[in-house]
Amino acid sequence: MSSKNLSETIEKVLSDEREVRAATAPYQAEFPYERDEEAQITRREFCNFLAVTSTALFLGAAGFAGKAAYDSRNIQSFPPLKIDGAKDLQAGSALNFRYPTESDTAILIRAADGNYYAFGQKCTHLSCPVYYAKESDRIECPCHEAGFDVKTGNVLYGPPPRPLDQIAIEVQNGEVWAMGRIAGGHES
Amino acid sequence: MSGEDKKFKSTRGIAAIFQAKLVLMVMINLAQLWILAAAIEAALARHYKELLPLVVASGVCWLISLSIIFWWKPVGRR
Repeated sequence: MSSKNLSETIEKVLSDEREVRAATAPYQAEFPYERDEEAQITRREFCNFLAVTSTALFLGAAGFAGKAAYDSRNIQSFPPLKIDGAKDLQAGSALNFRYPTESDTAILIRAADGNYYAFGQKCTHLSCPVYYAKESDRIECPCHEAGFDVKTGNVLYGPPPRPLDQIAIEVQNGEVWAMGRIAGGHES
Repeated sequence: MSGEDKKFKSTRGIAAIFQAKLVLMVMINLAQLWILAAAIEAALARHYKELLPLVVASGVCWLISLSIIFWWKPVGRR
């Protein structure tokens, strides 16, 4: 900004202030108060504001903890779902399915030992979709290079704070059924 | 001693006390902000055992800030 523009801007702001003062002069005479003083805040007022903030922060922490504790006790049950295509899944491969709702993607893995393991597909770090890496026999997240154990869903490395959500499965007559979903790292 | 001087002398100590209260309150607020962030982190990670100590710590901070506001009054010169 050139010095001319700057001085014009300063002059405009000052003239606005003068116009406001001129326009409010009659009211100022009837209800006198100092505009400058009005803009100030005392230490006492700021202390009171900080006390209110302190109350709000305490209530926020207590409320958040209370809601989390309530949610931890409120274990949802979901109807069983047959996983299509699981029967033909080869050892060392995986397929995606949706459970318990259409918006919840999940991953079914048939490990090298032939057993099935299923997890929610959302990484517990920032919800990126995880995938099964056959060569390393791990579940990996491509976003921030996290790794999860293929049998337990536990975090092997990377930033996720808790294990993957586990999906309980049952094999009935060769068909694989999803029976429920357990939040990873769930503490009873 | 003029009236202005008297007023200055009588309010000087009070201003210092309110300044000290202000600094303490700011520090308590910062601690509570950190505690709230830790509580959210613990809840999202489902580390429920960490929540109660965090809430208690926040409550202690809140009580200290209340005590600063309501009970820490400047004592008159004896």
